[in-house]
Amino acid sequence: MLKILSEEIKLVTKYIYDISGIYLDESKKYLLETRLNAIADEHGCVSYQDLYKKSKADATKAIERKIIDAISTNETLFFRDTGPFQLLQHKIFPELIDARASKASALKTNLKVWSAASSTGQELYSVAILLQELLGDLSKYSIKLLGTDISDAAIAQASSGKFNKFEIERGLSRDKLTKYFTPSGQTWKINDLTRSMVKFQKFNLMQPFTGLGKFDVVLCRNVAIYFTLEDRKKLFNKIADILEPDGYLLIGSTESLTGICPRFIPKRHLRSIFYQLH
Amino acid sequence: MNTMTILVADDDPVIRNLFERRLKNAGYEVTVAVDGTEAARLLDATIFDVVITDLVMPGQIGGIELLKIAKEKSVDIDVIVITAHSSVDTAVDAMKKGAVDYLEKPINFDELFLRLDKIAEVKAMLKNAGDLREAMNVTELSASQTIQDLEIVNGNQRNLLDRLDAILSDPRAAEHKRIEQALRLLATR
Ligand SMILES: C[S@@+](CC[C@H](N)C(=O)[O-])C[C@H]1O[C@@H](n2cnc3c(N)ncnc32)[C@H](O)[C@@H]1O
Repeated sequence: MLKILSEEIKLVTKYIYDISGIYLDESKKYLLETRLNAIADEHGCVSYQDLYKKSKADATKAIERKIIDAISTNETLFFRDTGPFQLLQHKIFPELIDARASKASALKTNLKVWSAASSTGQELYSVAILLQELLGDLSKYSIKLLGTDISDAAIAQASSGKFNKFEIERGLSRDKLTKYFTPSGQTWKINDLTRSMVKFQKFNLMQPFTGLGKFDVVLCRNVAIYFTLEDRKKLFNKIADILEPDGYLLIGSTESLTGICPRFIPKRHLRSIFYQLH
Repeated sequence: MNTMTILVADDDPVIRNLFERRLKNAGYEVTVAVDGTEAARLLDATIFDVVITDLVMPGQIGGIELLKIAKEKSVDIDVIVITAHSSVDTAVDAMKKGAVDYLEKPINFDELFLRLDKIAEVKAMLKNAGDLREAMNVTELSASQTIQDLEIVNGNQRNLLDRLDAILSDPRAAEHKRIEQALRLLATR
């Protein structure tokens, strides 16, 4: 395996930060080597500096995309942490539907949910499944479920709606599995109705949030932990800008917004925390 | 979603072409080599997920040597060896040396596709496991930081409350003085 030299670590981590916002310190040497080695090899690089130069010079950005795919940690699972999904089911969605439905009873009730770092899609598919369980007939609703991620590979898998044995066995009950998935070869595929409820697209959270529109619910879970404090502040500020005034923000269960974004106030329900605007 | 890259080494042009066609049709990215030497050169220049090699090839580098070269290059490369029906022993020997599987001639492609599916599955799970390990590290670190930060904030708040309490309950000062002082403390916070 190609070894990374200590003087290359700074160069490469700075580059990764510039293209993704993912902050890696010196202690992540092993991560750089194990995850970038194959890309360096594939492009015939003699060193990681060489890889850096080739990637910067590559107008198609193909190498840059591969580096992002390799360096991003896409770990996720269906109904991760349970609590937030109970919150969505028993409090957030019922309240939102009450608030939205009273405005115009003849029209469809709008619901807009954004999974801001959707990885391979489990988080957003969990929301889609939950909405079907909660609402039954969806014809009275106009539901927009958007999943975005910086990794092309993650978005591609999310869009395919296919999951392997390992992924399917985490977080899904037997009856949800048989109800919402069909086996296809070694993998399981989400059913067409659930697939048609969601949309995935590539998006870098470091960018301005223009053109995304407003959302009733934003899930921004287990991604800010890879960013610096400064970037977390900017990120949650931008989220505050695109959240409806009575909207809800859910973050990862090990995360906190204390000292990060005073525009949000934490609230607690059913042993889970959610955030709303002041 | 067959995205694996495969290198096929076989000196028989008929078998080589057959492999190339069948694997391409199944959606794999295929490169072929006419012998072990060419395969070794290709292995040096690019990375492959899977190498399928005939055990007996003319020249310096036979199937077993190619297996060794591939494994030295990266343990992540999976090697499948092809063997004549009569020489299963050599195939077993190859597996002891690190091949994942062997195929007997004539090649049964349905069988090969099943094995490639299995290999892809194992690779996907290894990626899952690697991500899981890394996510655990980062999440654990984030959790401990969150707790520490909250402890500090909590400590500061408690400290502030204690000081406010001391000011407001000071019997020596007049009530409006105490309130004024308390408000000043809150404002400088
Ligand atoms: C650990 S996963 C979290 C998935 C899901 N939200 C959950 O909690 O299970 C983190 C994801 O963040 C993505 N990511 C990292 N940096 C990003 C950025 N700058 N913009 C968008 N997504 C990013 C990674 O590609 C990865 O898929």
